[in-house]
Amino acid sequence: MRQAALKHIHQLAKKDGRVVFIGSDLGSGTLEEMKIEYPDRFFMEGISEQHMVGFAAGLAVEGFIPYMNTIGTFFTRRAYEQIALDVALHSLPVRILASGGGMVYAPLGPTHTSIDDFSLMLNIPKMKVFAPADAIEMLDILDYSLTDSAPMFIRFGKGGEKIVTESMERSPLLPKSFGESNSTVTICTTGVLLQHALEAQEILSLKNVSVTVLHFPYLNVLEISNFFENISNSEIVIVAEEHIPRGGLFTQLLHEFYQNHLSVEKFIHLSLPASYSHKYGSQIDHFASNLLTGRAMADLAIERLASR
Amino acid sequence: MSEIDYYKESLLIALDSRSIEIRRLVLNGLEGGGRGHLGPALSLLEILRSLYDSVMLHDPANSKLEMRDRFILSKGHGVLGLYAVLAMHGYFPIEELNTFCKFDSRLPGHPESGALPGIEFSTGSLGHGLPVAVGMAASSRIKNQNWRTFVLIGDGEMGEGSIWEAALHASKHQLGRLTVIMDYNKMQASGSIKQVLPLEPILQKWESFGFEVSQVNGHDVTALTSNLSTPSMSVGKPRFVLAHTVKGKGLGVAENSSKWHHKAKITIEEVSMLREYLA
Repeated sequence: MRQAALKHIHQLAKKDGRVVFIGSDLGSGTLEEMKIEYPDRFFMEGISEQHMVGFAAGLAVEGFIPYMNTIGTFFTRRAYEQIALDVALHSLPVRILASGGGMVYAPLGPTHTSIDDFSLMLNIPKMKVFAPADAIEMLDILDYSLTDSAPMFIRFGKGGEKIVTESMERSPLLPKSFGESNSTVTICTTGVLLQHALEAQEILSLKNVSVTVLHFPYLNVLEISNFFENISNSEIVIVAEEHIPRGGLFTQLLHEFYQNHLSVEKFIHLSLPASYSHKYGSQIDHFASNLLTGRAMADLAIERLASR
Repeated sequence: MSEIDYYKESLLIALDSRSIEIRRLVLNGLEGGGRGHLGPALSLLEILRSLYDSVMLHDPANSKLEMRDRFILSKGHGVLGLYAVLAMHGYFPIEELNTFCKFDSRLPGHPESGALPGIEFSTGSLGHGLPVAVGMAASSRIKNQNWRTFVLIGDGEMGEGSIWEAALHASKHQLGRLTVIMDYNKMQASGSIKQVLPLEPILQKWESFGFEVSQVNGHDVTALTSNLSTPSMSVGKPRFVLAHTVKGKGLGVAENSSKWHHKAKITIEEVSMLREYLA
């Protein structure tokens, strides 16, 4: 996903003279072709995230569209005030491309695991927050980013994610639905967990349990009015996210349901724990230990359906 | 000249009628809001006056003129001084200074871009102006335009790490059209810079970061204008200008007084007392 996105920024730069790229010590070879073709719109800065965000704001206020990339936590935690004040307060079209979403950097420990990014970024007024499932959806969001002047935060996955979406003709602000409607189970998810939700759907279909998967690549406003009936008629609604329990997809769904006077009684929330993990291993190890794999979600659904 | 010489000069130099008139406008704002950062607004007045009277290309009737020079007040708490200078130049009616800090005002306690013409970028939290100015200066280079970028930072603001991150990058990118001015009034909210966080040797620090450095009496309009009008003499080197100033300059009771750094309640009697210094 990351490689596809960075390559695509070069394409965006060809298409639009306002596009600039800013990296933070990303290693030699990053966007080498763009660096050669557009040397004055390619910046590889030092390890200075606060400066980097302010620098991007300075370019954006003069009419450029900066795409910035480094490890997500270094943006969201280190440069939070610059993102809030320099970028969002000024409504500038700065694009924050955050590597290592969720538990991608699990082996590197809690300084690098981006477990709170949705919450931190959704709390910043005007910031649009995206979590694509795969490279196809990522490119759709990047294409969309040239058409929207709002600040944006885009969570990157590990790379090499299974392609589970198709390129859309409609806005990436809208959720995607997979499977039949009026199903027994609805699974709501975001980011790379979509592939695990689809795996759960496949496992459950073999047991004749129908599942609708609702995927939200955009987290600010969940356009779910078309799906209220489906959700309300389901016997179980699983909300799965690679994030701490508060401030992410579940919190956003609660807001939508509250505003529409709907019950959340059937909701089951699966997330990362509300703590810094002191377990390492791999991203998938953490999915397994928090019931976020397809198999775990399917088993949970079977167990809950049996107990009803 | 030594730092002490500059200090003595900045303390002793007499203010001319225009500088006194701008200070009257500062007091209009202070009285209107019933509060404000007075000391920092007075130390930077002659710097702003030089920039807006003589150094910068700008047009109050067209505040978004593409080729204008850019100015960011990174020490946003000095905004009463900026409002006074902008009003003097006709960016907005002088009477509007009376709305300072009021609910529907365009003149908040720290500068906000958007509503008020002439405010280039919103500031308030320290350490933000220089990174943004580096981005602006880089923009002029990409566009092959020759406007200059000025950013005014405070001395206490040098404690922010982001200042030094941006200084490294300004030097790396050889932004010769960027000028950083420091309002060196040698005081911060809780006391003297020397007590709170010693900064010396300041010029050597910026020089070692790749800047072309100079110092000037920050209340000597002629010297300031001469200094700030000069682009970098070294190809590609950003400039750092250490302006020796006096906190509260011109209003005796507020001079070098941390009590007048910021006051949340100022009475009409106190403002009248301050006006007597300008009589």
